[in-house]
Amino acid sequence: MSDAAGTAARAGAGPAAAGPGEAIIRLDHVSRVYQVGESQVRALDDVSLAIARGEFAAVMGPSGSGKSTMLNVLGCLDTPTSGSYLLDGERVEGLSEDRLAEVRQKRIGFIFQSFHLVPRMTAARNVELPMIFAGVEPRLRGERVQARLEAVGLGPRAHHRPDQLSGGERQRVAIARAMVMEPSILLADEPTGNLDSRSGDEIVALLERLNQAGLTVVIVTHDPRVAAHARRVLRMSDGRLVEE
Amino acid sequence: MRRRDLTAFAFQTLTLHRLRTGLTLAAIAIGVTAVMLLTALGDAAKAYVVREFAGVGTNLVIVVPGRTETSGGMPSFGGTTRDLTLEDVLAVARQCPAVRRATPMSMGTAPAEYGGRSRDIRVIGTTSEFADVRKLAMESGEYLPPGDPRQGEHVVVLGTKVARELFQGENPLGKTLRVGEWRLRVIGVLAAKGISLGIDYDDQVQVPVSVGLKMFDQSGLFRILAEAVNPQAVPIAQREMRAVLTRRHDDEEDFTLITQNAMLQTFGAVIDALTGGLAGIAAISLAVAGIGIMNVMLVSVSERTGEVGLLKALGARRRQILQVFLVEALMLSGGGALAGIVVGLIAIAIAGGIWTFIPLRASPIWIGVVLVLAMGAGVSFGILPARRAAALDAADALRGRH
Ligand SMILES: Nc1ncnc2c1ncn2[C@@H]1O[C@H](COP(=O)(O)OP(=O)(O)OP(=O)(O)O)[C@@H](O)[C@H]1O
Ligand SMILES: [Mg+2]
Repeated sequence: MSDAAGTAARAGAGPAAAGPGEAIIRLDHVSRVYQVGESQVRALDDVSLAIARGEFAAVMGPSGSGKSTMLNVLGCLDTPTSGSYLLDGERVEGLSEDRLAEVRQKRIGFIFQSFHLVPRMTAARNVELPMIFAGVEPRLRGERVQARLEAVGLGPRAHHRPDQLSGGERQRVAIARAMVMEPSILLADEPTGNLDSRSGDEIVALLERLNQAGLTVVIVTHDPRVAAHARRVLRMSDGRLVEE
Repeated sequence: MRRRDLTAFAFQTLTLHRLRTGLTLAAIAIGVTAVMLLTALGDAAKAYVVREFAGVGTNLVIVVPGRTETSGGMPSFGGTTRDLTLEDVLAVARQCPAVRRATPMSMGTAPAEYGGRSRDIRVIGTTSEFADVRKLAMESGEYLPPGDPRQGEHVVVLGTKVARELFQGENPLGKTLRVGEWRLRVIGVLAAKGISLGIDYDDQVQVPVSVGLKMFDQSGLFRILAEAVNPQAVPIAQREMRAVLTRRHDDEEDFTLITQNAMLQTFGAVIDALTGGLAGIAAISLAVAGIGIMNVMLVSVSERTGEVGLLKALGARRRQILQVFLVEALMLSGGGALAGIVVGLIAIAIAGGIWTFIPLRASPIWIGVVLVLAMGAGVSFGILPARRAAALDAADALRGRH
């Protein structure tokens, strides 16, 4: 995608978003250290990073370099051992567990390599899930579910269970679910890792469309073709951000 | 999270593993049914005993030879126990103002024979007052005549069954019945009464107490029955009788006074303890079923680690995860309990239809208790797995690491 598209998307993000260049994500000297027995694993090692609202960033790097760890920290699923994280101007460290859950619920959408759909539930129920836990009124949910499924081209498949869908379709259900609470950030951990290249391309195209509508997207990937769609590529090695 | 969503969520999970869910429900249901049946049985036994003892009469005081530590229990024989004598009966009748009448009772079994037909029969020796105290009515003829209890005539009063079986339709009045070595003239036949205080009044004969004692070569009475002037006077009568008899027995209380209340209390307590014990045993099966719930829930939690991670990523609070799993455990225990109650009610209805003499009835109190117990088992055994799920680290759970 061209620079122009990204800029347009940022401009179109509406009045709630401040001017272009304002960081929706800001990490300052963030480390995440796992204690494994006697030894320590520095999964994130002094990472500083700013991601602007409406940006489309790819994270690349070898296995074990800390990409998922960083994504989890960004998504408030994991908390840094040290350093500070400002999400949309709000300091994340020190927030209670419930408040972190609320942040995830309202501001962040996740998609995963293995889709993480609940197997016993239909596509529609899976998409409805975040609203159920947010206590959204039942009569408001159906329409939103249908709209989200149609937006990913799965309107007619609403009542299929995951095992009746292809990999690409499953990931599209996961995207519909990630978007149903209208988050401002979408975090994707190798979303095309389990897909053939055509389905993968469809998923990336979908993410780009969402990005153009103003969504901030951070995608972890091993695939340079996928990363090529991002305006910005972050490279990690041994828990460090080595190059942008 | 809305209650309906919570139950729908749990329901969906439970219906996924039909066999597992079904077996867990069955385990709970069996426990609940067991508790219901056993408590119904206990309650029925108690009702039965109460019904039996209600026939004793509320103003009756019974004197039994021998001393027991707790009043109302069965007397323990042994030691220096003086006989209860006819003089004791007369003294009670004369010296206790709260006692309206007193009557002796001896007891033995002897062969009775008429017209070549013979059988062993229970022989009660007593006085004319016995008919009033035990509320006996006559079918024909007369009851034992009043008079000095020490000099009874050689007469006998028959229970209806004895009359029927030995006399085969012949009118027994005026006939001579051989009882043991004795030849007794039949003077009356009792109206049917059935069993009361453990004695089948249709299947026994009654003779004057002096005859009864001699027949079996007994020196002491089996019982003294005394009737207080009214039910309120029973404690006073008891006190007076204790004083009179103790004085007559060289200042030793070597007898036991029993009242209907005391008997009801004693038997009621015994049966309550029995029922409680049975219910306790049945409750163990509930606890076992509870462990079954815990096991199923633990399996469920470890199977669904990834799902828990996902729910957390989607913004589910710790408390909500806890609720999801707890409601599942509650639905298992509640569903099992309801099934068990239905089966229990049906079983009790069927058993009550077959054994009509037992007043089998499911008590609402026990149903409530067992329901609470089952749900309690669900919560207490469900809380550990639910806590474990709620405490999962979201990032680890999503990675499938836990
Ligand atoms: N819960 C944990 N406990 C201990 N070590 C962990 C934990 N999670 C991650 N690590 C370690 O942190 C490092 C970074 O892991 P991470 O999953 O972020 O890598 P990654 O870049 O996403 O790798 P991949 O490309 O294989 O997904 C690895 O060495 C990993 O073993
Ligand atoms: Mg990873």
